[in-house]
Amino acid sequence: MTDPASPGPTPHLTPDEIELWAQGLLPAARDIHLAECPACRKTAEAERRLVRELARLPRFAPEFGFVERVMAKVKLPTPSGRFDRP
Amino acid sequence: MARAVAGEEAAFRELVRRYERPVFSLLYRMVRDRALAEDLAQETFVKVLNGIRSYNPQYKFSSWIFKIANNAAIDHLRKREPETLSLDGSPHAPSGDAARATTPQLGDPGESPLRELEARELGAAIEQAIARLRPEYRSCILLRFVEGYSYEEIARILDVPLGTVKTHIHRARNELRRYLEDHAEPRPGARETPPRTAS
Repeated sequence: MTDPASPGPTPHLTPDEIELWAQGLLPAARDIHLAECPACRKTAEAERRLVRELARLPRFAPEFGFVERVMAKVKLPTPSGRFDRP
Repeated sequence: MARAVAGEEAAFRELVRRYERPVFSLLYRMVRDRALAEDLAQETFVKVLNGIRSYNPQYKFSSWIFKIANNAAIDHLRKREPETLSLDGSPHAPSGDAARATTPQLGDPGESPLRELEARELGAAIEQAIARLRPEYRSCILLRFVEGYSYEEIARILDVPLGTVKTHIHRARNELRRYLEDHAEPRPGARETPPRTAS
């Protein structure tokens, strides 16, 4: 955290640790700090919301027939090993 | 992969089918224009398949294809002229009324179905927050959180030092958090999902 004014008995979480916490991967020993530090808790909650939003992003599909449009432009090798198309 | 390297057409098709969605999604979010994203995706696959014999199997195939796709997007964004459309209307309009008539209208009923589709697909607060990021931050965030790549893999894909990736992702996350705090309400019942694992 950026505010070192009242770190409490344990050091503030680093940005990497906050990302780990948002993914449920922070070791329990460091997790204790969140119970005693409102500033880290606020940042961590916001980070968790962000990770959730990013994880929900959908994948989009190109228009129907994309594979054919690509294949029409690809050079395919002939049996002799030379490229034949387009 | 071996069949594709040997030039087998069916294997080429299979590769395109497998990667068309992730590649198109990355490009679409980079350029925010469906037709352009499809052009860039085609360009990416043609380059990959025509150059498949130069693929180094030491690296993931998906990393190689994302490298080519991202380069295509960044090249396009660098070449694109700055958007200078004035919200006050055309500076060349002969009168105030004429200037107002040229003022861009968001959600104008005359916009094309394609634009309406883009507005639906990319209209959410998180999509708008991503769109506001610098392109290099955007690539990092999409590769990390949508495609599930590690920081090390992203550094290889983008050809930048690991420290740069960490800095970009850290700054991008701060910008996204700030934007969402200002613009979005947390949705109830959201599932807690870790980033996807890269294929």
